[in-house]
This record gives sequence, structure tokens and C-alpha cells, in this order.
Amino acid sequence: MLYRTVGQFKTSYQADQALFPVRQDAFLLGIILLCAFVIFPLTASEFTFQTLLIPILIYSLAAMGLNILTGYAGQLSLGTAAFMGVGAYACYKMVTIMPWMNPILAVLLSGFFSAGIGVAFGIPSLRIKGFYLAIATLAAQFFLVWLFEKWAWLYNYNASGAIQVPNLDVFGLYVSGPLASSMTQYYVVLIIVSLLTWVCINLTRGNLGRTWKATRDMDIAAELIGINLMRSKLTAFAISSYIVGVAGALFVFQWRGAAEPNLFDIPLSFQVLFIAIIGGLGSILGNYLGAILIVGLPVVLNIVPEALGIPLSSATVEHLNIMIVGSLIVFFLIIEPHGLNALWRLIREKLIIWPFPH
Amino acid sequence: MKHFTKWAAAAAMALAGTAVAAEGIYAPNLSYRTGPFAATGIPLMNGQADYINMLNARDGGIGGVMIDFDECETGYSTQKGVECYEKTKGKAVVTQPWSTGITLQVLPKTNVDQIPILAPGYGFSPMSDGKTFSWAFNAPAGYWDAASMIVQYLEGMGDLNGKKIAFLHLDHPYGKEPIPVFEALAAAKGFEFLPIPVGLKEMQNQSAQWLQIRRERPDNVVMWGWGAMNAGAITEAVKTKYPMENFIGVWWSGHNADLAIVGEKGKGYKSISWSFPNMDAPVMADIQKYIVAEGKTKSNETEMQGVFYGRGIVISAILAEGIRVAQAEYGVGEISAEQLRWGLENLNFTAERIDELGLTGMMLPFSTSCSNHTGHSGGWMLEWDGEKFVKVSDHLKADVASYAALAGEKAAEYAAANAPWPMNDGC
Repeated sequence: MLYRTVGQFKTSYQADQALFPVRQDAFLLGIILLCAFVIFPLTASEFTFQTLLIPILIYSLAAMGLNILTGYAGQLSLGTAAFMGVGAYACYKMVTIMPWMNPILAVLLSGFFSAGIGVAFGIPSLRIKGFYLAIATLAAQFFLVWLFEKWAWLYNYNASGAIQVPNLDVFGLYVSGPLASSMTQYYVVLIIVSLLTWVCINLTRGNLGRTWKATRDMDIAAELIGINLMRSKLTAFAISSYIVGVAGALFVFQWRGAAEPNLFDIPLSFQVLFIAIIGGLGSILGNYLGAILIVGLPVVLNIVPEALGIPLSSATVEHLNIMIVGSLIVFFLIIEPHGLNALWRLIREKLIIWPFPH
Repeated sequence: MKHFTKWAAAAAMALAGTAVAAEGIYAPNLSYRTGPFAATGIPLMNGQADYINMLNARDGGIGGVMIDFDECETGYSTQKGVECYEKTKGKAVVTQPWSTGITLQVLPKTNVDQIPILAPGYGFSPMSDGKTFSWAFNAPAGYWDAASMIVQYLEGMGDLNGKKIAFLHLDHPYGKEPIPVFEALAAAKGFEFLPIPVGLKEMQNQSAQWLQIRRERPDNVVMWGWGAMNAGAITEAVKTKYPMENFIGVWWSGHNADLAIVGEKGKGYKSISWSFPNMDAPVMADIQKYIVAEGKTKSNETEMQGVFYGRGIVISAILAEGIRVAQAEYGVGEISAEQLRWGLENLNFTAERIDELGLTGMMLPFSTSCSNHTGHSGGWMLEWDGEKFVKVSDHLKADVASYAALAGEKAAEYAAANAPWPMNDGC
């Protein structure tokens, strides 16, 4: 009913391959964008900005970066958090060495540093794959976190060993640091994330994306049909690390405000990997759904008992929360092993043929 | 229908009940009863909660206003901590962040949100500079005080010239914090200072570090550990037969449960502390009467005899006194965050006041001022006698003057890195 495709004729290949072959999809996206750009900022409280909207967007972006590498190009990586760290530290060094620099530009540039590091650690992927590659990226994870701890120049010889985001402004408006308002921070994140999502959608649908998918599905076959595996894998590492690096810079500059080296340790890598897997490997939408489940849901569950007036101690709520989120992850993976994105596709498919299922 | 009305009435009553309880001064605590550090967090949280609940039950709150002491669970995670901060800051008069990571995150925001941070005995040592950090308080003592007191105690045992002191610390902002003060003291007193970091991942397996200690043969080992690291170090020290009497920890490394594991073998282990669990103090009797006898505590008897439970009580007592001072100054019951800031800045814990509060022997006198947010109460050296901690020193006082310049420098550095940073020039 809602998704009736009757009357939407495609008369050219171009129309058939368009981003939104079904008109309702474009309409739905419009509603989401309207919410994200207008309705949420108008209605959200500071709490919502800081614990739901901003982190979900940033985690989605990080998962999207990982998804390019793992979901599209098939190269398993466990070093996401370290690459996020490279982005964050690069951004920190840039804004402290060059305080006149536009912070948004610094965030976008910091991705190039992590892209460089990502390519360097991606070189082993030319010879090893699967779990062996995962171990190589794990080495990046350990090495980089160690570097963040030991290389005092990175955190400007600060006694505490942590980086603190200074107050940064663009034409007099504070965009990051303690003086920035949550709404400004949200818009900066939203615009960068939307932009990179748009780039990712088009990249994965284009020539490069098909090369990646061919590499993922069977690299020998891909090589036989003339795909340069080295180029395919290294571009995947570069672009993925760029996005992850930008996500890392946003993570610290637009959200956390301060970071100690162990923030970029394995738990964060796994969290991002979980988002990508639960959302659905090889999808863009899945990253957002995964981030909502993994990052957003615990926050919402935490405030439910209080909102309902159920007197539970905060520690009990936290225990319940861990149990509920854990079982939901298992539940979703059982009903749809390919992730939330596949689940949504299934629902959409059913809606289109409704009320006449075969 | 009849049943329905009854239930509805009951529900309405329950809701009204919670609404009444929520009135008063809202003082949330960012607790960690879950996660990897829960074992050390629970006794502290229980001590804090029991003291405030005792005040509510015994005196009807503070100055006639009930204290709504709420907990927001962080599991020691910075992310959850910020979530809790955002959730509570609307009506809270104070933030008790409970972890160095969370403190670092909320410190710059407090100037904007205007909520005092109370971080007793932890956080950034230069926070003592009230001129720069007008909203942060780490009374009654900071980590630099601890370093100074430990060296002073060791000096009392004999000349330090030519000795070697190993510094076993968590490789984390918290563990690195006292290094500049130790280094300065090493240069002044002529002892060799040997930092040995323990990575967050090696907390439970410190064999490499203790191998190094065995090889280097330091005269003393000073530990800045937290959570699993303490138990790891203490069991490892017992295993390598390091003489326990030469092993000293900071106040967060003096948890009864960590030493109970080794029992008699841990005899002689020391820990510097600004609090002491004096079971004979009147306040303990009151907690027994109003809280334990009523079954309102989450604690148990063994835990209540521990150092950390007693410390929780002292922490809440500092907060309560801050509220009291603010109420007296402004003549209102329900004080605001801004007023509590004034109260915490004008604490005056004299020996008489401590006795009056029933905290005899549990804490040391100190006072804060606009420019001094720590108070530098000093502390006692506690020693494990095989079953519990006992005091083995008189009142030790830190040589604050020796690092006042360093504190000023670090505070200025912080302010410069976070420009524009408002300074309280009135001090």
C-alpha cells in the first residue's frame, strides 16, 4: 500500500539503475533528512544532542569507513579505533600548531593522515587475507595506541598524557571545544557525515565499488578479468581509513572534547565492527541502523525506568541494559544473519508486494 | 472497575511519593558499581550513600532540606560518565565524576554550565589553584600531596641520599600525574627515581615489572595503582618475596579486599591516606542506628570496616559541609550550584568541627579558600597488620610550597590551551 510501485515505469537503463528506482524511497529519505536537519535540532535537548544524535552519527561514519574495507572490499580489519586515533591526533596537532586553521578543514584534512597510515598497514593485505590480515591490522591497533602513549610530541607534552580540544571558532562562532553549543557541533557533524555518506554511496555504486566487490567475492577471478588487486585493495584501505580518520577527529573534536590514548584501544574497534556487522556488511544504510541499536538503544533504555517512575537503582538498570542489548543483538542476528539492512530490505520487499504475497 | 480504581489510586500514590522524595537538593553521584573497577567502587559508593541517607534520616537532611542523593551508573566508562553528566546537570548542584577520564571531560564544561566538580583525592593536582579552576575542588588532598608525604615518611625512616625508589604506576594520566613532583624531590634529596609503568592490559600480569624490580633491587617501591592492578602488584610482590614493609601505595592502593587475598603475607604493606575507618567514631554508631538497623544499606559488616567505606563517608561529609556553609551564608535551604561553589570554597574543618560532626579520627583538619581548592589536609601512613589497616604515623603534612610554582605553571598551561578560559581574578 505504502510502497506500491504501480505506474512507476522505467523506460531506460539509466532510470532503472538510478539511486531511487522506487519513488517512495526518495520520499522516505527526504523525511529522514528533514528530521535530521530541521526537526531534531528544533526539538532536541542538550542531553539528546550529546548522548544520541551526535554519537550515533559519528559511530555510523566510523562503521561506514570500516564497511568500505570489510563489507565491500572484503578485507577484515581490527584496527579501526587506531585509525580513528590517527585522525584525532592529526587534527589535534594541526589545530595546535596552526591555530588560525579552520577547524572543519582540519577535521577533513586529518583523514589524509590516517589514510596514509592505513595504506601502510594495508600493504600486507596484498599477500595475506582473512584472519591472517585481521592479525596484521591488530598489530596496527597495538602499535598505534602504544605510539599515542609514548610519543609525547603528539599530545604536546601534556602532563596527563591526554589531548584536550581547545575552543575553536569559524568566523566567531565556536564549533568545537567547551564553549561550542551542542547544536553547532551537531550541524558540523551532520553536514560532514551527510557529505561523506553521499560520496560513499556513489563510490560503492561506481567503478571502484564494483572492483572492490569483485575482489571481495573472489580475488583470483577478479585478477583474471583484469582487475589490479593491488590498486583495488590499497584504494579500499585508503578511502576506508580516510573516512575512519575523519570519524575519529569528529569523535574527539565534536563530541568527547578530550581523549586519552586508551580510548582508541580494541574495545572501540570491536564496537565499530559490531555496528558494521549488525547493521549489515556491504551496506550504507546498515551502519546507521547498527549505530542506533548499539549506541542509541542503551542510552534510551537507561532513561526508560526513570521516565516510567519505576524505582530501580542505577546499577541494576545498567545490568539489565547490558542483558537486553546483548539478547537483542543475538535476536536480530538469528532472524536476519545479514544484518539490519537485510531486514529492512526484506520488509520493504514485503511492503511492495503487499497485500498479495506469493 | 473497583479493582482498577484501587490500582490507579495506588499508582498515583506511588508517583506522588517519588515526586515528594525528589524534592530537596539534588546531589548526584556518578557511581561505578558495574564494570572492571566495581570491586573498588562499591564500598566507596556505599559509604557515600549511607552517610547522606543517615543525615536525611537523623536530621531530616541538611538545614531542614532533604538531600536527594541519586546515583547515575557509569561503569567507570568515560562515555557513560558524560552521558550521566548531561543527564544530571540540569538540576544538580554538584558533579562527582569519580574517574580521571570523566573529570578531564567535564572540567572545561563546568565553566560554561556552572556546576562545581567535587573530586576528593583524585583528578588533576593543579586543580588546587582556585583562581584558574574556579569550579573544581579536589579537597582534602591531591596526588602531589601524596607524593610529598610518602617521600617525607621515607625520609623519616632514614636518609634518602643514594637510595633507589621504584615507582610502579598505571600507564595512564592518573599514574603519570605525580612523576614531576617525584622527579623534583629525587633531585633535591639525592635518591634515584625509577618509574616502572604498568599498561592497562598488563594490570593483572605484572611479572615483567616485578622481574625488573628484582633486578634493580630498589630500597622502596611506591605504587600508584587502581582496580585490578593493586591486587596484581600485591600478590606479585608476595610471590617474589619483596619485603612488604618497603612497599607503599597511594590512597587508592589501600583497599582492604586487595590485601585480604594475601592476608598475613601482606603484613607491613603501607598506604598513605587522608581518611581512616574509625569504627568508634560517633558517626559510625549513627549509621548503624539509622541505616544498618533499618536495613537501608547495601553494604555489609566486613566492607564497613574497610578503608574505602570510611573514605566514602568522609567524601560525603565534605559535600554535606559545603552545603551547610552555603546555606548559612545565603540564608536559603535549597541552595543553587553557584552557592554550593561558594560553600566548597569556604570549608573549614577544624579539629573541633570534625569532632562535632562525629568524624573523630576519620579525617584531618583542613580549610579551603578562594585560591586554594585542595586544602592540603595531609594524611596518615596506614599499615596492613595482616587483618586490617592501622595508623603507623602521626599527621603527615605535604610540603605544598615545594611544588606551588609547578602547580601554577601547569594551571596556566591548561588555561592557555583552553583559551578563552575565565579566571577568577577576585582571589
